[in-house]
Amino acid sequence: MSPGFAAMLDALPFLWRGLLVTLSVSALVVVLSLVAGAVLGLMRVYGPPVLQPAVQAFSDIVRGIPVLVLIFFVFYGLPVVGLQVNSFTSAVLALAIFSTAQVTELARGALQSIHHGQNEAAKAIGLTFGQRMASVILPQAARRFLPAWVNSVTDAVKGSALVSLIGVGDLMMAIQQVIGRTYQALPLYVLGGAIYFAINYGLSLLSRHCEQRLSYYQARE
Amino acid sequence: MAATPVVSIRGLWKSFTDTPVLKGVDLDVHRGEVVTIIGPSGSGKTTLLRCFTLLETSDGGGGTMDGVEVGYRDDGGERVPRSERELAPIRAETGMVFQMFYLFPHLTALQNVMLGLVKVRRMARAEAEEAAAAWLKRVGLADRMQHLPSQLSGGQQQRVGIARAVAMAPKVLLLDEITSSLDPSLVDEVLAVVRSLAEEGRTMILVTHEMAFARNVSDRIVRMAQGTIVADGAPGEVLDGVVPSPSGRGLG
Repeated sequence: MSPGFAAMLDALPFLWRGLLVTLSVSALVVVLSLVAGAVLGLMRVYGPPVLQPAVQAFSDIVRGIPVLVLIFFVFYGLPVVGLQVNSFTSAVLALAIFSTAQVTELARGALQSIHHGQNEAAKAIGLTFGQRMASVILPQAARRFLPAWVNSVTDAVKGSALVSLIGVGDLMMAIQQVIGRTYQALPLYVLGGAIYFAINYGLSLLSRHCEQRLSYYQARE
Repeated sequence: MAATPVVSIRGLWKSFTDTPVLKGVDLDVHRGEVVTIIGPSGSGKTTLLRCFTLLETSDGGGGTMDGVEVGYRDDGGERVPRSERELAPIRAETGMVFQMFYLFPHLTALQNVMLGLVKVRRMARAEAEEAAAAWLKRVGLADRMQHLPSQLSGGQQQRVGIARAVAMAPKVLLLDEITSSLDPSLVDEVLAVVRSLAEEGRTMILVTHEMAFARNVSDRIVRMAQGTIVADGAPGEVLDGVVPSPSGRGLG
């Protein structure tokens, strides 16, 4: 057995713990940003006119900052304003803010892509705003939102690799620690890449499956 | 004393940017009347229907339905614009059918018709399904109920649109150029449905360019030009010669 392959096998239990942290960070970021981004996206399109520019400003500013800068900003900035949080919380918060800005734009785009006639037809049969959203607009917008959102989820998983830079013991940090012990850099980076790829490819397959299930454009008989 | 018109529009004004599209239009439609609005493109026909149902906000004037003001309510003697929530039940009484159908693409034909019955009319699902199926059969789509709009032809989609509107049992049906975006070969199947509804004595306002159909199906024809009503009378009178509008507005 080659030393590289042996190092990869030996590292698996240790990497597993890092993988769990990566998955935890990613899952929290995905859920938080989905909820916050969907709400902000709705506010951006249908909210009070006074709030719409504020939401847009949030989205524009955050999307204009590199995610690594945002992570350091939250990690070093929160203690300055008296908020003592651990590196895991800082990492989740920073990535969630970044991802929320992406999701907000995706939600805005999906909502605005629904033809105004759909809203008018729903109004014409007497549906209230809530009913129009629940029964007509959101089911259609969700289908357009899904593929782009899965992209943002994979970005969140990949972006989580940066949290090792503020001391979070994720998969990336575990890989670096193993490399520090074994000096088998290339095999372990290949293994790490394969693990990240497996997660994201799985998500992409799931997304394609969902898109097919949800598709309402079928061939005319 | 004359019966209250189902639809009464008074002094309706609407401009898009600086271009006036409606210039103080008055129109009454009585119960059971089929009124067809004709006129060149841009004369304000569609905008009139849209402003009446407040899908478009007018700049002045407004309408009543069965004597109830559509856009405003009385609040202790003060006229207050209705909120979207207050407008919803009023809009449910105006069955609007659109030129571009605007069926809900994620719902089957049956679900398209059921949606308003369940959500607005508060029917039980089974009852709504039965009513929706009956209307789809009536418009000749008994074998297309479970089809999505993308699986239907334009004429079939428009017939679903008509079923969706008429199933709500509205006080007036507003049909806005419902054959204009159809292949000519599909127009007749849609007009046949409209004709059968007219023969039932339903109150309808049609906007159409189908002159032969308008002559045949209408009790009255209203001709619009440049945002005003320039003729209003029996089909033969309006189509064969100029008949003045009752208010005399816009003549000359």
